[in-house]
Amino acid sequence: MSVTKPQVAQPNRAAALPCWNCQAPARGAHFCAACGKIQALPEGTDYFAFFALPQKLTIDAGTLETHFHKLSWKLHPDNFVRASEFERNLSLARSSELNDAYRALRDPIARVEYLLLHLGLRKEGASKQQAPPELLEEVFELNESLDELREARADGGDVAGLRERLAEAQSNFQEKLEEVDAELAAVCLDWDASLDKQASEAPVDDAERNVLLARMNEVLNRRSYIRNLVAGVASELLEA
Amino acid sequence: MGRTVGIDLGTTFSLIAHVDPQTGAPQCIPGPFGSTLCPSVVSVDPGGAIVVGEPARQRLLTQSDRTIYSVKRLMGRGVADVQDELRIFPFHIDAHSRSVIRVRLGDKLFTAPEISAFILRELKNWAENYFHEPVDRAVITVPAYFNDAQRQATKDAGRIAGLEVLRLVNEPTAAALAYGLHKQKRGRVAVYDFGGGTFDISILKLISTDEGEIYQVLATNGDTHLGGDDIDNELQRRMREKIVELFDMDLSEQPEAIQGLRKALIAAKHELSAKDSATIRFELPGGRLFDHTISREVFERWIEPIVARTMGPVKQALADAKLAPADMDEAVLVGGSTRIPLVRKTVGEYFQRAPHCELNPDEVVALGAAVQADILESGVKTMLLLDVTPLSLGIETMGGVVAKIIPRNSTIPASAQELFTTGVENQTGIDVHVLQGERELAKDCRSLARFQLKVPPGPAGLARIEVKFLIDANGILQVAARDLKANEQRTIEVQPSYGLSDTEVERMLEESIEFAEQDFSERQVIESRTEADAILQATEKTLRDPRSSELSAVERRSIDDSAAALRAAMATTDYKLIRRRIDELNQATMHLAEILMNSALQTAVQGKRLDDV
Repeated sequence: MSVTKPQVAQPNRAAALPCWNCQAPARGAHFCAACGKIQALPEGTDYFAFFALPQKLTIDAGTLETHFHKLSWKLHPDNFVRASEFERNLSLARSSELNDAYRALRDPIARVEYLLLHLGLRKEGASKQQAPPELLEEVFELNESLDELREARADGGDVAGLRERLAEAQSNFQEKLEEVDAELAAVCLDWDASLDKQASEAPVDDAERNVLLARMNEVLNRRSYIRNLVAGVASELLEA
Repeated sequence: MGRTVGIDLGTTFSLIAHVDPQTGAPQCIPGPFGSTLCPSVVSVDPGGAIVVGEPARQRLLTQSDRTIYSVKRLMGRGVADVQDELRIFPFHIDAHSRSVIRVRLGDKLFTAPEISAFILRELKNWAENYFHEPVDRAVITVPAYFNDAQRQATKDAGRIAGLEVLRLVNEPTAAALAYGLHKQKRGRVAVYDFGGGTFDISILKLISTDEGEIYQVLATNGDTHLGGDDIDNELQRRMREKIVELFDMDLSEQPEAIQGLRKALIAAKHELSAKDSATIRFELPGGRLFDHTISREVFERWIEPIVARTMGPVKQALADAKLAPADMDEAVLVGGSTRIPLVRKTVGEYFQRAPHCELNPDEVVALGAAVQADILESGVKTMLLLDVTPLSLGIETMGGVVAKIIPRNSTIPASAQELFTTGVENQTGIDVHVLQGERELAKDCRSLARFQLKVPPGPAGLARIEVKFLIDANGILQVAARDLKANEQRTIEVQPSYGLSDTEVERMLEESIEFAEQDFSERQVIESRTEADAILQATEKTLRDPRSSELSAVERRSIDDSAAALRAAMATTDYKLIRRRIDELNQATMHLAEILMNSALQTAVQGKRLDDV
């Protein structure tokens, strides 16, 4: 690894600043419309804006990929090997942002997580690890079976029977995971519809927006909990 | 400005290649022995001179304590990492080595990047002799599964060898590039790269866009310590057991005998790729002959566990790419170990299709590196490689747990921002520990670096330091910190866990120039003068020939003038001028040469010997 020297100047970190090279208004575009030079990233990140997309949660994978390839072709450091160090750094910053943005937006779940993170409603990696109340009983049973399995494995008890019970529980939770995914997809559609409404009717309905975002957050937490559960059972079954 | 080349710095062999400006096709450059393969072996003379390649390989048998092979296995690793290998490889590691391993060759100590730099310098010389022009920039390939420290060590080796490393390219990706160019194919390609010391699997998507071809790596996996070396070691272990059994002889304390046995084993291994059996004949110390025949069936049973070890990474890479074996359009074989029939069979069965191996598996990586070097150098982009980072990047959190901030198989460059703050009042520093790997706990991952963010004393949680972790297009991590409260960029003192500091690299660069035989231009001057001497002597000789009277006065004067101009040029150190004058003299003597040639033909027809005329 290497440590980058602190940059002497941080020209136009804000989108409003003009092009660092020709002073033409830059408007946050990847390249200056007047002189064609690569532009610095604006302060803060907005993956949707990077791809010139509205903050909708339905994104066509093929279109996004084509867009990703087009931008890669232009922004990749390969294009700047012979440019100044300053421009090389801008390319590094923009192309890494491109890859980060594509990674987040191409996956439907990561996309929702990013939206919440971007709007300040979710901290990175801070999903709650509490069992959703309606699942408490089943989770309790599952944990009991897991304990029994570990014990049986240690003192050579009836592993086969326990395996069967666990496999059943696993498929039960897998089903729940699919339900949660469907629930999340429905909230996402509502969110997109609300954005469409906003575009056509003023004023913006903040209350509706916030309800939808809170629901997304809750569903994501539940999903993450169940997913960990399924993964945990899978790895125990693999060992048994 | 000199030439740009592509280099495959391999465990067993290294190669250098360039794109021919006339044909636009990549080609490997041969060395003084006519082969394009330079054995990755370095030997230090008792006099201190460095010997690299084939001559060094010869010395493995006679001067094993001053000669090293497979140094790539030591790149970017600490002493604790290599204990297993020390049992098998005859590395003489200095007892005082700490985070950087130092190897003893004769009475001198060298780091792995320095030894690799000797190999790079040798290849650089090959290319300079070929072009008659200096070479100063290169694309160097690395195993896709190399971690940050191993990549940094490779980059350092390039710098020590006097090369500006334009880019480190992953070996399977370079191979895919050469393959894609060759076949003009699109689709999903699995590159199975089983070399001398490393194994890589990369799953790529080859896409045609309006702008050009894109080679996008979807997932990569591998083992940086799995290769043909392991097969050699397995054979060696079994044969040494056999020698104990038959002759009651233990070779442990006889490094030269071990090298002799190893050479015989490798020859047998190669033979077994084409034949059903091979015989190892080896003279034991004391003169008795070890004569042992191995059938391919037995050989395959012995190496099956090693070949099987490649399949774990293959399955993981496909799972990460969310693809099944049948989804692949092609499987491409790269690396010398893929010549083994069992390897081909295993790969073919898994992907349910015959793997491709029409490109020379030894050269294909260097050819791809040359293509990438040409793209970077010329600025004419016809294709774009989008590679990934093979390992997740994380930071240590409470309880020694790793929080992943950049997942493996992220397209590079990739970045992550983390906000750090203080936990207690008047805390003046925040410790950050950066790691690479897939395991949950910091102790099971590869430590990349530790550093402390300095903060002004104040209430807990007041400080706001944003640290940006960025993996560049070489797969090397860069770290920068910004104090959001003061809005200023901060220098962070990062103590890399493994590797050389910048000052150490600089010092080694200076030392290596002392080691290097001669500077490029000096060598060129000497060579061009030698060439000029030869042509001047030949010209004088032919001018003394009576048949030269057939020349016109104008032609005669032109030859005399050109020869005088060449002599004048030889007095300077301008080797390019000397070469130009040589060409001019050759031009001027062309008619004279024709006269002599015709006359020689006539003499031959008349049945007379040339000397009699």
